[in-house]
Amino acid sequence: MSTITANWKKLLPSGIVVAACIILPMVMEIGTHILSLMVMLFIYIILSQSWSLIGGYTGQINLGLAAFFGCGVLVTHFIWSIGVPIYLAVAIGGISAMFLAAVIGLPTLRLKGVYFAIGTLALAEVCRIVVGNTFTRMVQMPIYYVVNYNLISRYYLGLVVALIAVGVVYLVTNSKLGLAMAAVRDDEEAGQVTGVNTFKYKVLALLISAFLAGLGGGVYAFFQLTFQFVSSVFSPLWTFQPLMAVMIGGVGTLAGPIIGSVFLVILSEVFAITLGEAHLILFGILFILVVLFFPYGLVGSEHKVRQWMARVRRSRLWKAI
Amino acid sequence: MEGVIQTIVYGIVVGALYGLIALGLGLLMGIMKFLNIAHGTFIMLGGYVSFWLFTLWGIDPYLSIPLVIVAMFLIGLLLYKLTLSPLLKLPHIGMRISNSLLITFGVIYVLDNAMTLVWKADVRTVIASYRGEALNLFGVRVPYTGLAGLGIAVLAAIALYFILSRTYFGKHVRAATQDAEAASLCGVNVQQTYLISCGIATALAGIAGVVIVSSYSVMPTGGLSWLLMGIVVMVLAGEGNINAILPAGIILGLVESLSVFVVPIQYRQAIALLIFIIVLMFRPQGLFTKRG
Repeated sequence: MSTITANWKKLLPSGIVVAACIILPMVMEIGTHILSLMVMLFIYIILSQSWSLIGGYTGQINLGLAAFFGCGVLVTHFIWSIGVPIYLAVAIGGISAMFLAAVIGLPTLRLKGVYFAIGTLALAEVCRIVVGNTFTRMVQMPIYYVVNYNLISRYYLGLVVALIAVGVVYLVTNSKLGLAMAAVRDDEEAGQVTGVNTFKYKVLALLISAFLAGLGGGVYAFFQLTFQFVSSVFSPLWTFQPLMAVMIGGVGTLAGPIIGSVFLVILSEVFAITLGEAHLILFGILFILVVLFFPYGLVGSEHKVRQWMARVRRSRLWKAI
Repeated sequence: MEGVIQTIVYGIVVGALYGLIALGLGLLMGIMKFLNIAHGTFIMLGGYVSFWLFTLWGIDPYLSIPLVIVAMFLIGLLLYKLTLSPLLKLPHIGMRISNSLLITFGVIYVLDNAMTLVWKADVRTVIASYRGEALNLFGVRVPYTGLAGLGIAVLAAIALYFILSRTYFGKHVRAATQDAEAASLCGVNVQQTYLISCGIATALAGIAGVVIVSSYSVMPTGGLSWLLMGIVVMVLAGEGNINAILPAGIILGLVESLSVFVVPIQYRQAIALLIFIIVLMFRPQGLFTKRG
């Protein structure tokens, strides 16, 4: 009983945030700019949760997230444009990304450590080259969809899928699968010796991660109706931005990717106006500093900051004041 | 028949360039266990330095190589001091590799956008008077710029071989590779050795940049595809096997250019990357090293 109440207290703030996200657009008018920002925020949350599952919890640095995302975007776009309802199309996009992961992920997961990172980066580049050469023209939804464009529905779809992503990651990491994933991350050989089929769990983690990335792609396909260059959805930026959000927020935590995404979206919004293009340089420097000095990200630094605050309070200077 | 020979010549020229790119990567990864995925971005930077020297002062790209080497060497020292040296404290080597990968990814982000600010997102190239002219050998055209690139790659590989095997510095590098602690007990300044190796690796990236800007072109985000080819060559040669890098590069160049006879030309790089993944799966120790 006590655990339930404890959980209830922990869940209350996030519950309030979610409720606010659901209710606010209904009761008040929100500008299109803010709404589009929120949709992008949801997509980043989905992608960074997806990356966090394989990169944070399982410890396999996946630099090929863009391939799964792009696959989700393309499949959803074309399925939706032939008249399938969007909810189904997004789900199919996710499943197709999972298939792609099964085809290209299985061979790369045999690679150990850093070679997995390089292998996935190479495979994402292969996908980008092939898609870029296949679709040389602009891809666009039929005009009927463009006319009936309505941002609120994008917002709610993004919100729902983001909640699904967080929920899936929560359920997975609190199950036996999550334990096995932690075993793979912490010491793969020790896990194998004690009877954990590490390859199986790595594959499962990759498949779920790819499914979520594909769903994120589906939301993006619903949000963005026109693609000037189709290969742009396979651009490595779609890997790097979520990776950055996870690292800045905190690796191996549920809240980390969310906080990292919010942080990145707000920062880019603030600095894009004042600094223009140069704000991306700032992001890079920030990322390097986080990897070097705060390996546990914003979430993990909480107790560091508390310790520091306590030390300040104990110091003579504080008492003098 | 002449078409085939022409393709082979082209493959050797491109392959030598791949080898040149992989030399710097291999030096850092094979010897110091730092994976520098910003290597391609440093290549672009070297190309831009050469481009500036050419357009501002009219210095021929090949004559600008010493200046580019000095500039890139200094940048390499800066890279090591600011970002890589804190990683030496990490407890084990796998963490060092993966954290250097993450950090140099941040470096890519910084450099890419800085270069876009300075030189705009346009494609830049150096068009010297001899660009496009070619040596005619029994009906086979060998462009002068390609020939120069081949020569520079071979010279760089030989120079690196002599530095690593015939000098005290090379001895220090090899000692620090085998056992950093024991080497420092024997009086090798490990930090300094790593520092200078990092400078050399970036200088090699600069040289590759000069070759690329004078026979291809550079753009701020163009580093990634060159980097991937460099990594492919490094893995084909086998980690730490620096002497095999140039031959491995030439093999990759040949395979890539001969694949034109089988698949459309725009899929060339995709083929090379697929070959790479297959090699990684079945011979992760590289083509030129014995198992174990």
